[in-house]
Amino acid sequence: MPTKNILNYSYYPGCSLHASAKEYDESTKGLFKTLRIGLKEVPNWFCCGATPAHNVDELLSLSLCAKNLSLADNEEGDLAVACAACFSRLKTAQHRLADNDVKRKQVEVAIDGAVPLEKPVKHLLEILAKDYGLDRLADAVKKPLNGLKVATYYGCLLTRPPDVPELDCCEAPTIMENVIAATGAEPVAWSHRLECCGANFTLSRPGVVLNLSNAILASAKRAGADCIMVACPLCHGNLDIRQKEIEEANGTRYGMPVFYMTQLLGLAVGVPATKLGLESMIVNPLPLLKEKNLL
Amino acid sequence: MKNSKMYLSTETMNLGFVRKVEALSGSSVRRCFQCGKCSAGCPMRTFMEHPPNRIVRLLQLGQWERVLAGRSIWYCASCETCSSRCPNKVDLAAIMDALRKLSWDANGPSKESYVQLANRLFIENIKTYGRQYEMRLAAVFNIKSGQFMKDFLLGPKLLTKGKLKVFHQKNRNIGEIEQIFSRIEEMRKKGEAP
Repeated sequence: MPTKNILNYSYYPGCSLHASAKEYDESTKGLFKTLRIGLKEVPNWFCCGATPAHNVDELLSLSLCAKNLSLADNEEGDLAVACAACFSRLKTAQHRLADNDVKRKQVEVAIDGAVPLEKPVKHLLEILAKDYGLDRLADAVKKPLNGLKVATYYGCLLTRPPDVPELDCCEAPTIMENVIAATGAEPVAWSHRLECCGANFTLSRPGVVLNLSNAILASAKRAGADCIMVACPLCHGNLDIRQKEIEEANGTRYGMPVFYMTQLLGLAVGVPATKLGLESMIVNPLPLLKEKNLL
Repeated sequence: MKNSKMYLSTETMNLGFVRKVEALSGSSVRRCFQCGKCSAGCPMRTFMEHPPNRIVRLLQLGQWERVLAGRSIWYCASCETCSSRCPNKVDLAAIMDALRKLSWDANGPSKESYVQLANRLFIENIKTYGRQYEMRLAAVFNIKSGQFMKDFLLGPKLLTKGKLKVFHQKNRNIGEIEQIFSRIEEMRKKGEAP
């Protein structure tokens, strides 16, 4: 018998979750289904423009986000966003357009409609920690991640700039630590959780990424972490897909699995491991999970 | 420099350019009092010839040509650390966006600005498919920037992991995106949008 959902959201996955970050999409759906949180994908959503659009053309960037917001506004429920960059862009558009009548009028002409400035846009972290609640999340844990030391990596866009995402404090956030601690895992204290990984320079200047991401991996290792947890497909790409390159360029070895937060949480609440996309990760997480008796 | 003395006047300061940057970015340039907090936190500082606080100072002093010709603006990663920490609410990340646009419009592609080529291809994909098409983005960028073998070994690995989609996702309502692009273009022709 199908059980009724506790919460319901419309869902904006973003382009990466349908391609290079498909395990984020898969594990998000698995986790939310188990927690009985409904996700309904916004039909015919478009790319939000991400960093490249605002680097080239701010009006286009704002218009793309406004278009997606108006598509989401036709759906019921607050908008759940998985990708940190999409989340940041959608919130930035709402913030900038609320402040600036000139830009808002230009965008309204571009999308031929009003911009839903009040539509609540929420990152998955916010839904889990605030709407669903940490207590309820802790109650849902079937397989505690006891003994797993996790370096929680926020990156740039989940918390910065302070008045835009409104997710947590931009210099000393705790939301990721709180969420993962609810599963029994141990978040480590480390220095680089808010540093930039090199972001979309991964295409145009990979050398920059090798440099910045190396510092992040080294810091996590120094803090004694078993793995890194992220909530952004681009951070994941730089830390996981490029990890071998980083090791070669710096003559070092990390072997540090990089999980999406929904993979670790899914594991804890009893989503079958085959539904978490673990096989898509470039740094193989299975030896670590076996060692900790989590499979 | 032979004569290191600088004389400031409204002419040398070229406030016209500062106003242009301020209108595009929605942030004040003049409010910066050079505390240097932006540069202290900037992860890309080591790659830049002018750190972020000096970029703002150069703008204030009317030396915008040095800013637009340099490589600093093309090394900004848009991480927003500077904007978050500025005690005077100067949104430096937005100023960098404005400078990149002005530089590209004035000088077109250059050795330093080829980052913008990746950005342009990204937008071209949105216009064509409505969504991002990562494989095409990487392939076309490598061809156009002459780095044919870049990430050559990464491709097959991603393919076997199912992370590289050979076929693109396409939005059935692609017409709506085309309309957004053409309406923006129209506004610009009429001078109603920057």
